[in-house]
Amino acid sequence: MIKNFFDKAKNSHTWKENLVNLTTQLLNYLIILIIALFIGAVVMFLSGKDPIAAYAALWQGAFGNGYRFADTLDRSVIMILAGIAGSIAFRTNITNLGLEGQLYIGAFAAAWAGFTFTNLPAIVHIPLCMIAGIIGGALWTLPVLYLKMRWKIPELVPTLMLNYIAIRLTDYLIAFPFRDPAAPMAGSPLIAASAKLPKLIKGSTINIGFIIAIVLIFVTYWFLFKTKIGYELRMVGLNQDFAAAAGLPVKRSIFLAMTLSGGVIGLGGALMIQGFFGRFLGGFSSGYGWDGFMIAIIAQNHPFAVFPTALFYGALANGALTMQSVTGVPQAVVAMVKGTLVLFVTVKVFVENIRKGLRKWAM
Amino acid sequence: MTEALSVKNITKAFPGVLANDNISLSVEKGTIRAIVGENGAGKTTLMNVIYGLYQPDSGQIFINGEEVTFSSPRDAIAQGIGMVHQHFKLVPSYTLAQNIALGVEPRKGIFIDEPALNKSVKAIADKYGFQINEREVTVDVSVGEQQRAEILKALYRGVEILVLDEPTAVLTDIETKELFVMLRNLVEQGITILFISHKLREVLEISDDISVMRAGKLVGTVKCEETDECQLAEMMVGRETIGGRMRETKQKGELIMEIEGLSVLDNRDLTAVKDASLNLYSGEIVGGAGVDGNGQEEFVEALLGLRPLTSGKIRIDGKEIQELSTREIREAGVAYIPSDRYRSGVAVEGTIWENMVPGEYYVKPYSNGLALAMPEIMMMSGTLIQKFNVATPGLDAKTGNLSGGNIQRVIAARELGLEKAKVVIASQPTRGIDIAGTEAIRQMLIDYANRGAAVFVISADLDEILSLSDRVVVFYEGNVLDAGYYDETIRQRISWLMTSGKDYCVD
Amino acid sequence: MGNVDLSSILTLSLFAAALRMATPIIFATMGGIFSSHTGIFNVALEGFMLIGSFFAVLGSVRTGSPYGGLLYAVIACLVAALVFAILHLELKANPIIVGLAMNIVAIGLTNYLLTATFNVWGVYKTDLIIGFQEVQIPLIHQIPIIGELLSGHFPLVYFSFVSVYIVYLVLYKTPFGFHLRSVGENIDAAESIGVNTKRMKYYGLLVSGLLCAFGGTFLSLSYLTMFSEDMTAGRGWLAMAAINFGRMRPVPSMIAGLIFGFADALAVRLQQFGLPSQIVVMLPYLMTVIVLFISAVVAERRKKSLVAKQNKIDIATPLQP
Repeated sequence: MIKNFFDKAKNSHTWKENLVNLTTQLLNYLIILIIALFIGAVVMFLSGKDPIAAYAALWQGAFGNGYRFADTLDRSVIMILAGIAGSIAFRTNITNLGLEGQLYIGAFAAAWAGFTFTNLPAIVHIPLCMIAGIIGGALWTLPVLYLKMRWKIPELVPTLMLNYIAIRLTDYLIAFPFRDPAAPMAGSPLIAASAKLPKLIKGSTINIGFIIAIVLIFVTYWFLFKTKIGYELRMVGLNQDFAAAAGLPVKRSIFLAMTLSGGVIGLGGALMIQGFFGRFLGGFSSGYGWDGFMIAIIAQNHPFAVFPTALFYGALANGALTMQSVTGVPQAVVAMVKGTLVLFVTVKVFVENIRKGLRKWAM
Repeated sequence: MTEALSVKNITKAFPGVLANDNISLSVEKGTIRAIVGENGAGKTTLMNVIYGLYQPDSGQIFINGEEVTFSSPRDAIAQGIGMVHQHFKLVPSYTLAQNIALGVEPRKGIFIDEPALNKSVKAIADKYGFQINEREVTVDVSVGEQQRAEILKALYRGVEILVLDEPTAVLTDIETKELFVMLRNLVEQGITILFISHKLREVLEISDDISVMRAGKLVGTVKCEETDECQLAEMMVGRETIGGRMRETKQKGELIMEIEGLSVLDNRDLTAVKDASLNLYSGEIVGGAGVDGNGQEEFVEALLGLRPLTSGKIRIDGKEIQELSTREIREAGVAYIPSDRYRSGVAVEGTIWENMVPGEYYVKPYSNGLALAMPEIMMMSGTLIQKFNVATPGLDAKTGNLSGGNIQRVIAARELGLEKAKVVIASQPTRGIDIAGTEAIRQMLIDYANRGAAVFVISADLDEILSLSDRVVVFYEGNVLDAGYYDETIRQRISWLMTSGKDYCVD
Repeated sequence: MGNVDLSSILTLSLFAAALRMATPIIFATMGGIFSSHTGIFNVALEGFMLIGSFFAVLGSVRTGSPYGGLLYAVIACLVAALVFAILHLELKANPIIVGLAMNIVAIGLTNYLLTATFNVWGVYKTDLIIGFQEVQIPLIHQIPIIGELLSGHFPLVYFSFVSVYIVYLVLYKTPFGFHLRSVGENIDAAESIGVNTKRMKYYGLLVSGLLCAFGGTFLSLSYLTMFSEDMTAGRGWLAMAAINFGRMRPVPSMIAGLIFGFADALAVRLQQFGLPSQIVVMLPYLMTVIVLFISAVVAERRKKSLVAKQNKIDIATPLQP
């Protein structure tokens, strides 16, 4: 009898239905992408630039040859981590808009561990810096958690305020206590060579951070969908009253989701310092925390969808530099395109109409 | 006598439901017409058609003999039809006068003429004999006064036909009496009233004519003085007997849950439950009757550890549980069917299996250490879903896509299916569920009690209480009052307790 | 730090500076209040203001007048608000996500246009940008203390306080405001009396955009006559905190705006006394968190004492004989 039930259950969700859903999603993203690129093109055109040449240069810069592609992959590392950090918080229905600040604190903590310890073997020093980054990012969420859990202050404004505070705090730290006069811009001392991430390919910046990011995608998927704690986070995110009434540990889940979110973006900061910059630089992040917010929203907080989205964002970030130097189109247009994507991503009309059309056609 | 309102051949269908099937009726001016019927009989749909909220698929509406069509409530109001909904449409921070005049405020230049506004509201209230403090802020006044404001809001707009949707559902006995006096007053001044209800005794008390609806059809219209409760009941439910007693009283077993001197605060930190005590015994169903908002919700949430106690003790099998977490209380053997299934019963965006396992996912065999054991979870969920006859396309389906009755079955399957609970606390278990689903859920509770559990059913529906309970307590202003064991006179004792807090008549 | 004494910090010019610093926050706060009362928590205030700042500069350069700049800013912000409104109200997109995305688009758009039109990176500062002139209020500026405090400000400073009064009058004293607020408080009530709730939400967002245009224009055409990347620096978020603090009432929210403005002015002043600028510029943001914290603590205290009183009455008059 039970077997029959499962057979029935399987049959009712036919492959056709699944195909329709998948195609709907893909077409929806395609439409939104076209809208965003089109709006970017219109702005470029109106300001007297050639959008086609700009997009071509963007593509060349991101995927033009093997090294550029490798650099794009390297760029997407921080995007993946930021996207995952956002996904963990948003899935638990926590509006963590403080990724940027957590990134700064995490990166600084990693840099500190990198330049303070000098006599460690790489096998110890590399993970030590990463752990410092994780702890830094996680700690920076604690004030918000206190305000949210003890005083019921919604996290939205406090997380934003802590972004500004974190950026200024790290600015202070590299201007006074940890200033390195030899740095080209305001920056901390260089981290020890033993803390740097080994490169994967000569001639590109890509390093083992990329592998860590890929592994983290699978670990996050497993954590969110296959473990007890992941189940708790997701249920708290879907309906907190239900979770409480069913006896799920709501407070622990909120605490965990927020600190994990901060920890992951902190790790992202560590990977950037250890893999790319080699020291903490003031204002090093060009809004990666906000990229994380956008990636998570576009990916609907699913780690597997974070990967392509982050790759796309990495390509935009990498290609934008080439676009700017080759065609003279300011790279800020890319930020506009990214934002426009998110403007449209929660619009439901495309999805509804595509699904209706596909159903008619498929069934 | 002239005809104030009539509808001819009104039909209105929703996906899957024919809510109004060819309805025709006509109402005399200056009378009270009751429309009675079960939940889901189509009363509210008909009223919404008359009020312009829905457009009928076919049929006509006549006012004072002239055909009208409404595309929105605005048109209906312009034609003199006003409606008072079950949920009041008042702005909490405005004064009653401001609410009554909202949308048609007297003006002075570009500003509102506040003194003129208050004066005109006062004048209308006096004209119809309504007692109202028009300058009070709406959130601060009683439900009865809010309802008076809601009625005045319609009258202020010069409405001559007034539709009242279940107006007594939220009122105390005394407030109901006051309302009826006011309604009689209105009718004498030429207002026509349509009164929707399913409380037959009230209908017989207040109306001139009674139209009965069942399953989308108009069964018939009778004169009030020519009918009685039994005839109406038969018209309402047809041959089926619903709401009859399902429970055969059994001998109760040993004491399982003891609640002693429980006091609880509500969301505004005001006392919601005062020094309440209750014992629940194995094999016994205790009914918790009472008008909504008399402390039932807070009482139940306190039992589940969802709301802190200010004093009192709760024991299960002699062990104190009031300090424990919700999970520990549930592990001690408490099952819980919450009153609002969408708010706290399920995660509607979650899948069926996710909603089936919140009590089990963390113990063997459903988890092995850190990870969930999906085959076991699916097997268990699938078995229970089938046992409790949940109609769903699969365990991965979104729970929110199921009907209300099926969602309630999911909750029942989760809470009762594994037969771990010694105490079942079911709050409004059949609210808003169709007849078949209602009977099934009630039968599940009875079966579960018969297997030796203590069952506590809280319901604002007196028929449900009488259908299930061996013993009844009444929630009245935060007190839990004993109405005793089921017998022929319990209905009377409960209604006295519900309305006055005393189990003898106070008139 | 030792040689800094309090009286040299807390001077009249500090308080005058506080009024100036509070101006853009107050404009954004009033704008946010308008949309909050229609039930839309507008998180795009920051982006609206930034767009306003840029287009004010553009307009000033193109027309040679600060009022031309204001006009450009108003038009640009109304367009931005309209885009927000259409996405949320017509295409049913999530307002929080749309609002946050608006901010990102605003940063990208202004940075792009900054380079594309003026051919500069990061900062645009030239004599071509014509700013507003300070206004000496005739009699008042001769009164010793009050004159220094209240006179000699830019016109938009005065107008920001006038806007508080106008917003108050419109929301609380006119039928329009009555209907608008009913949409946010109980949308069913509003619909039941025939208020076009969608139109009200449009008005709420458009007024948000309008007032943010004033705030943005003040930033780039008054005390400073320049545009720089991300020059709003979180003032839109501060406005959201002010609305939260004032529970959407114009005057209490304005007071919160003044507190944040004071923190801003104090930060600038402390910098002049040699405190590390990185630390003192945290002040307004720290202040915001502290204000939110204090208002939550006060609210809980007040509730508790009120409840204690009410519960006492409850217990004193038992219902059971």
